[in-house]
Amino acid sequence: MIEINNITKTYGKKKNAFRALKDVSFSILDGASVAIIGKSGSGKSTLMHAMSGLDKPEKGEVLIDGVDILKLNQKTVDKFRSDKIGFIFQAFFVQANESSFDNVALPLEISDVSLGARKRRVKAALNKVGLSDKEKQKARNLSGGQRQRLAIARAIVNEPRILFADEPTGNLDTTTGASIEKLLFGLNKKDGSTLVIVTHDADLAAKCDIRVYIKDGEIEKIVKSKKTKKVKK
Amino acid sequence: MRTFDIVRRAGRSLKHAKIRTILTSLSIAVGAFTLTIAIAAGEGARQYTDTLLSSNIDPQILVIAKEKNFFEGGQSGPQEYSEDSSLMSRPGANPVAVLDQEDVDNIEARDDISSISPSYTISAEYIAGPDLEHKYTVDVVQYDMGITQEVVSGELPELRTSIEDDQIAIPEAYVELLGFDNPDETIGKELTIRLQKTTGVSTQQGKDFTYEVVAVVGRSATALTATDSVQVSNSSARAMSNFSTEGTPSYQKYVIATASVVEGVDPAVVKAELVEQGYGVQTAEDLQSLLFTIVNTLQGIVIGFGILALITSVFGIINTQYISVLERTREIGLMKALGMRGRHVSRLFQFEAAWIGFLGGVIGSLLAVFIGVLSNPAITEQLTLGEDNYLLVFEPLPIVLLVVALMVIAMVAGLLPARKAAKLDPIEALRTE
Repeated sequence: MIEINNITKTYGKKKNAFRALKDVSFSILDGASVAIIGKSGSGKSTLMHAMSGLDKPEKGEVLIDGVDILKLNQKTVDKFRSDKIGFIFQAFFVQANESSFDNVALPLEISDVSLGARKRRVKAALNKVGLSDKEKQKARNLSGGQRQRLAIARAIVNEPRILFADEPTGNLDTTTGASIEKLLFGLNKKDGSTLVIVTHDADLAAKCDIRVYIKDGEIEKIVKSKKTKKVKK
Repeated sequence: MRTFDIVRRAGRSLKHAKIRTILTSLSIAVGAFTLTIAIAAGEGARQYTDTLLSSNIDPQILVIAKEKNFFEGGQSGPQEYSEDSSLMSRPGANPVAVLDQEDVDNIEARDDISSISPSYTISAEYIAGPDLEHKYTVDVVQYDMGITQEVVSGELPELRTSIEDDQIAIPEAYVELLGFDNPDETIGKELTIRLQKTTGVSTQQGKDFTYEVVAVVGRSATALTATDSVQVSNSSARAMSNFSTEGTPSYQKYVIATASVVEGVDPAVVKAELVEQGYGVQTAEDLQSLLFTIVNTLQGIVIGFGILALITSVFGIINTQYISVLERTREIGLMKALGMRGRHVSRLFQFEAAWIGFLGGVIGSLLAVFIGVLSNPAITEQLTLGEDNYLLVFEPLPIVLLVVALMVIAMVAGLLPARKAAKLDPIEALRTE
């Protein structure tokens, strides 16, 4: 379970201070799919960074399974991210001159997984996203959709508890986007991991169990889909 | 993250930027090349000097001078004149205190000295063959029992034994001049050396000394002796010297004397005792260390140039790595977002620098070995070092140490860029705008 309690994040100092998040609170049950929706500059990315331990809001708590990640030291936060978090970015951020295998292996290398287990898990992850045949291909030779699949494989190879996706379909055409969406929600249901999507795409957001609308650093509204009771305010 | 994985990733990153890697490595290679050559040349020069000395100089030998600091950069400028001072003027140099017969006798009387031969001053008019027709100028020196000479014809006694008083050893150059067809022909023949008194008095007196040729000596590549001089026994030399200097201030005065220390006695001990008595003494070992000092100085200069080249390449590495960090901001951001620790990111870049150092070191030293081995025969010929003596001697250990040192230097150079990478904020790095 993820609990966000009264977090406030300010950028800049004194006169130039800009409050990106103002006293934001909500919570998410395990296995839910959540959309954080807002315009650019609304604070939605900052919120994602705070939830994943990349950024430290100066006030509030981010409780993940009861542990406040804002109070952990850098080393523990790094370990927390490498063990429990998966990231998918709009611009994929795959390493173009590395092979698919080495791209996906990076998180496992970071978390000290043995060579044998690494091989097995990378293959499994590539299989899940349908890129088994591209294992030795350099990422630069993959299409946009394939690159995002590769990014997803990299995000799930560590079997994370929470998967963050920042505009995962933003750079893709409608058809490819749709297949990526399908893949993400499929993984969310199948693996039971929590999926947090940051987006301004209303259609994509509509497919999530819970939608957190954010505006000027504050929560505007939280909408739960009727089909599920997993999420509570 | 495991070091092995970091090293592998560092290697792959470099592979993806081949040209940049090669160019940066080459700048290190220049330094590595210079240093390898310098080390090899130093080693070669030392080995050569060693060969030279051990094949030429008797380790039991002492060179003795009157003045204590004779061998330490010569004497200390102008000397005070005194009538009975045993100062000998030398052309182009300040007068020097010299040994007199008493000194020589005293040293010879010691138990630990087996023999002593002063450097005699012999001014010969000419040397002539048996027919007395071919006359040539000649430099006469006493036979040096402490060195091994290359004998072309005839026979020389073994080390520390002198030739007979009526014998003479001549260099190969005189064979034809004196009218012989080949060296063998000269053996046993009689030669005449004409001496002139150097009193300065108008009554010019000359005297002929005759000798039988015992050996013809050749010019060996590893010989230190001036082989253009004819050699006579110690006592013959003394007789000649006495004849030509009689009545002059330099009568029975000698700049230096060469003494042979009895086998089994450490020359250094004898040296210490003689130095205490006020003499200037040099052992074979001193001579060796003197030559080594020269070698080391020359080597130091070359190494200095190598280090200069390395310093330049260090800035090259820093620059390259900074650009690399800038270029790979996203990659660094991603790795950090995925939970890679700052120090591991730093290590990644340092290992990349180490790889560059390794490559540069290997390229430079291999190139040096390759070129050195190829050009060694030519150098040996040019410098007439003699067969099997090479100027450039490559030993594996210094090269390995050099490569390791270069890796360390490269890592140090990569420290600044690596820290920049480690401190990169992943959020900033991953901003798409």
